[in-house]
Amino acid sequence: MKGGSGFIYEIVKNRYLYLLALPGILFLLIFAYTPMVGHLLAFQNYRLADGLFGSEWVGFRNFEFFFGSKDWLRVTWNTVFLNGLFLVFGLGTAIALAVLLNEVTGKWFKKTAQSFVFLPYFISWLVVSMMVQTMFSSTEGMMNQALTTLGFEGMDWYLMPGVWPYILTFVYVWKIAGYNSIIFLASITGISSEYYECARMEGASRFQQIIYITLPLLRPIIIIMTLLGIGRIFYGDFGMIYAIIGDVGVLFPTTDVIDTYAYRALRQMGNFSMSSAIILYQSFMGLIAVIFFNWLARKVDSDSRLF
Amino acid sequence: MRERIFVGFVYVFLTLFALICFIPFWIVMINSFANEALIQSSGYQLFPTSFSLDAYAMLLSGNQVFRSYGVTLFVTTTGTVLGVLLTASFAYVLSHPKVKYRHVLSFLTFFTMLFGAGLVGFYILIANWLGLKDSIWALILPYLLNPFYAFILVSYYRSLPYELNEAATVDGANDIHIFFRVIWPISLPVIATVALFYALQYWNDWYLSLLFIDNYKLHPLQMMIRQLMSNLNAMSYVGGSQTDYNIIVPTYGMQLAIVCVTIGPIVFVYPFVQKYFIKGMTLGSVKG
Repeated sequence: MKGGSGFIYEIVKNRYLYLLALPGILFLLIFAYTPMVGHLLAFQNYRLADGLFGSEWVGFRNFEFFFGSKDWLRVTWNTVFLNGLFLVFGLGTAIALAVLLNEVTGKWFKKTAQSFVFLPYFISWLVVSMMVQTMFSSTEGMMNQALTTLGFEGMDWYLMPGVWPYILTFVYVWKIAGYNSIIFLASITGISSEYYECARMEGASRFQQIIYITLPLLRPIIIIMTLLGIGRIFYGDFGMIYAIIGDVGVLFPTTDVIDTYAYRALRQMGNFSMSSAIILYQSFMGLIAVIFFNWLARKVDSDSRLF
Repeated sequence: MRERIFVGFVYVFLTLFALICFIPFWIVMINSFANEALIQSSGYQLFPTSFSLDAYAMLLSGNQVFRSYGVTLFVTTTGTVLGVLLTASFAYVLSHPKVKYRHVLSFLTFFTMLFGAGLVGFYILIANWLGLKDSIWALILPYLLNPFYAFILVSYYRSLPYELNEAATVDGANDIHIFFRVIWPISLPVIATVALFYALQYWNDWYLSLLFIDNYKLHPLQMMIRQLMSNLNAMSYVGGSQTDYNIIVPTYGMQLAIVCVTIGPIVFVYPFVQKYFIKGMTLGSVKG
């Protein structure tokens, strides 16, 4: 057996293995690849009754429509800006947490602190959204109570678009940083203790050890985490943003991201084609972002690329 | 001296951060036991001065919370079991040196992380082509294979000595046998980690129910939270038809109570699973 019948030969020879993989392969075909056909809708005037193959083809009209409105700039900017904030503050805090947790010598304190910072990761965004409300609702919220106690006026937070990028960043860091810090903590634990012994002999303070040993050795993992983040810079976290903001239109100028915008186009306006065009634009930009930044990372540091 | 200032800073920073992480949980929990009138008049309190079980009584008086619990439990257990089985066996094949097409399969898996199908195609697939609207399977099937978790498993399987496999083959076992009898038992720690990831994802998901579940009888707990947050007629949603206009519905209290009911189990298992999570994350970060 060789050459021409290679495919069938391979399948038959390892039939049990391919049988093991079959559910996974079917899953990918049905739930990951079949829906990609949906991108075709972006070039159609899709009507449910006519279906995918009966609807009228309209070329790039949906895109003209999308790029013709000012919305596309707004949602693209919001997505990139929010993700930028999340990335910088999320990673920054996670690294700080990991480095500082590593400095703690008391076992009990370290374990307790770690448990607390890890806790928010376990709850859903809807629960988080409920907690955000207990903080920021205008009448019952803790924020406004604190403000009035201090002699200031309470504010209608849910009517102030300007502050929400920062509230969302805070909430994001609150939920994710503890979880991410474990990845960094794991790499710090992997650093050989000889480095630190040497540094101590030279008389380096603990702060200097962090700056000259820990952080430089964390560089590869920091770059990988940043790359993963940048690769997803065009994807808003729908679960998070829609849970917290929902349909509060006043806040859209700063919080409406590509995903929430596409969701509303689909579910509230029933415009499948428009929604499709937006998503295709997003997927395309996402792909370019991953490839570009991966290329960039390879230039800067050849060990740190993703693929 | 400077060392001591530094150490002091470390402890202060960590204590503050830990407190900030914990306080929202505290507020939700303690205020779910507060009197509705107190919340309405003076807002949420760090230490409420009144105590009441009204919110819980109201929440548990109807059927909805039990229905939703049932839905969430079913979705989480079924989803986790199926997801782990599917992901573990698929990942095993991706890591198996005998499989000629493992790189093709890996790429096909990886590519879905780069270029998504998007909301519309996904929605049409589930709702129209598969006809799963208002079906509990719409909450389970779409999450059965997470590429990221699959790659965690792949990098673990790759670290196993291949001799295990050869020894079993010599004994005449086929690959399915080898996987379940030999590989599965020794991968239990990683499989447990991945199982926890899946369980958490299913327990906390509300995206799928938002898209596909309109029938309130199939609302999972997360959807119930959402309904209670936006629904002013909380009473009819929770209690069904019985409506008594003379009582004050503890809307705020009920919102907080359902949150406590939802995160209760997670907080209880949390101390036990924490070390698994940490182990799993460490394995995942090694990256295959």
